[in-house]
Amino acid sequence: MTDLLLLFTQQTINGIYLGCLYVLVALGLTLIYGVMNQINFAHADFVTVGAFAAFFVATRWATKWLGLPDTTGYLLSIVAALGAGALLGLVVNAAVFAPLRNRGDELRPLIATIGVSVLLENGQLALFGPIPFQFDSPFAQHTIRLGRIFFSQQSVLVVIVAALAIGGLYAFMKFTFLGKALRAVSQDRETAGLMGINENFLIALTIVIASALAGMAGALLGPVIVLTPFAGASVIVKAFAIVIIGGFGNMEGTIIAGILVGIIEAFTVQYLGSGVIDLVVFVLLLVMLVVRPTGLIAERREENV
Amino acid sequence: MSVPVRAADGGAAPRAPVVARRGEGGPVSAVAAALRRPVRWPAYAGALVVIALLPIVLGTPYWRGILVVCAMNVLLAMSLNLVIGYTGQLSLGQSGFFAIGAYVTTVLLKSHGWNFWLAAAAAVLAAGVVGLLLAAFAARLRGHYLGIASLGFAVIVYQVLINWESVTKGVRGIYGIMPPPPVALPGLPEISFGNQAALFYLVAGLALLVYLVLDNLVRSPIGETLRAIREDEISAASLGVDSARWKAFSFGLSAAIAGMAGCFYPGFVGTLVPDAFNIVESFTMLAMVIVGGMGTMIGPVIGAVVLTFLPELLRGFGDLRLMVYGVALTLVVLFMPGGIVQAARALVARRAQGGPRA
Repeated sequence: MTDLLLLFTQQTINGIYLGCLYVLVALGLTLIYGVMNQINFAHADFVTVGAFAAFFVATRWATKWLGLPDTTGYLLSIVAALGAGALLGLVVNAAVFAPLRNRGDELRPLIATIGVSVLLENGQLALFGPIPFQFDSPFAQHTIRLGRIFFSQQSVLVVIVAALAIGGLYAFMKFTFLGKALRAVSQDRETAGLMGINENFLIALTIVIASALAGMAGALLGPVIVLTPFAGASVIVKAFAIVIIGGFGNMEGTIIAGILVGIIEAFTVQYLGSGVIDLVVFVLLLVMLVVRPTGLIAERREENV
Repeated sequence: MSVPVRAADGGAAPRAPVVARRGEGGPVSAVAAALRRPVRWPAYAGALVVIALLPIVLGTPYWRGILVVCAMNVLLAMSLNLVIGYTGQLSLGQSGFFAIGAYVTTVLLKSHGWNFWLAAAAAVLAAGVVGLLLAAFAARLRGHYLGIASLGFAVIVYQVLINWESVTKGVRGIYGIMPPPPVALPGLPEISFGNQAALFYLVAGLALLVYLVLDNLVRSPIGETLRAIREDEISAASLGVDSARWKAFSFGLSAAIAGMAGCFYPGFVGTLVPDAFNIVESFTMLAMVIVGGMGTMIGPVIGAVVLTFLPELLRGFGDLRLMVYGVALTLVVLFMPGGIVQAARALVARRAQGGPRA
């Protein structure tokens, strides 16, 4: 293999790993948008809450108190973060989304989620302080070698977990009755309601799934980002870009766009430096909006474009 | 199917789209018509008195500083309200225009030796022109798509500020920025803007002027055209409204006003770093518009005042004050869906009907 090809392969692999992390965050946004036409600005903070939950489970509770090996601790912390995200989603839905939903307005829930975001960020600031936490994944130290290509066990774990989550979600949406009902609500809420589908339950379920994914993404992102109460913000703007590039509310588009952005980021770091990542991603976003405003995979959602 | 942005005064009673009348057509005659309308002079006189008294009542340098920030926020909230409240276009990129105003002024002032007032004028113009460019996106996108596109714009501006080190000094920032130069009016002592009361009078006076212009604008045929686009763009187009052109007008003017607020920011703070123009600032401006009551003239002013002073009044909560701020913001949206203005109007209406109902 030539060096250039090697570099190309290596960066593509890094990009896919990054992309999987972004997809997990962006999927939640796109799910919520698809079902209730709503942007959740607090989504970033669900990621941070998940990351902190995972941090305390992995480094304190599981390893120090229960005496589990740190690898098991970390795997357990991913589950814990998933649960923390789901719980938070349940609470935020009951407190904010549900009361605001039937007022026929899209702006006020958006502001309400900004309020929730401020609350969560500063609540965590009061609890954990502004100093970044050192969250090391036990899998990050071990690398796997394949010919002349290296990748950490952590990246393999991330790809596997993301694939499982995405696969599970996909199967749920396509093959279960509940998933079918969810898609129906996403296509036309009123008609779905007339068919006897309990939309309130399904919307709550969507938010819980989306938040659980965000929390889980937090556990996986924790070792990558600078873990402070404001950590989610660095990921969320990219997640918004991904959701738009993929087509708002479109799962397949979001997955493809997420991986694509991950790969673009890996190559941007290689050739242009890490400082310009957001610049490249958002210029791409604006170009995308001009050229193909419906996203990578066009859906019949005429009203937004 | 849905009109994403509904404003406080348009939501209650559906109104027929009103379109700029043919006979009066064209912006120039519309502006002339707007100027002929009766202006609410007593209210403006009252506002002038309040502005004059504020730095005397809140006499410490600390509170005067907050007052200057408040006046800038009023400008920003009014600028955003024109786009969101009156034209119905979701914009999350207002911090980008604020940044352009601040940086263009400072760079022209510090690196090119321009006069402050000239640099400020150039900055307002620059922000306005960029606003026109963003309007090109607004012509094609609606609702949340436009929201994210404008958010993307703000992110790009922020990233350019960080990365274009030769001009903006990157994250290290620009230091030692002087306030606007003293003005010597004939027959009066020289006004130095290093004095925060004087700076407040300047910015608040400009804000009042902008309020006057916008208040007349939104009641003019132009305002009716913008509202027609807000209520139903397709109907408006069917009646001959060139929505792309009027959106561009709205975005351009809004950006210029935000840029104007930005001109005074660096001289007030003394330093200029990109973090002051993080996208979170756009959300704060949006919150001001919504909390006050969008689609009304006074609403964003009230929202800006409340949200500027609220964190200061919550200092008693110490580290928890921003948490309380978040809760307050959420509660206002939950329980005052039309913002403070509509809640106040409802209260007055209920009083008029004879006491609160059980």
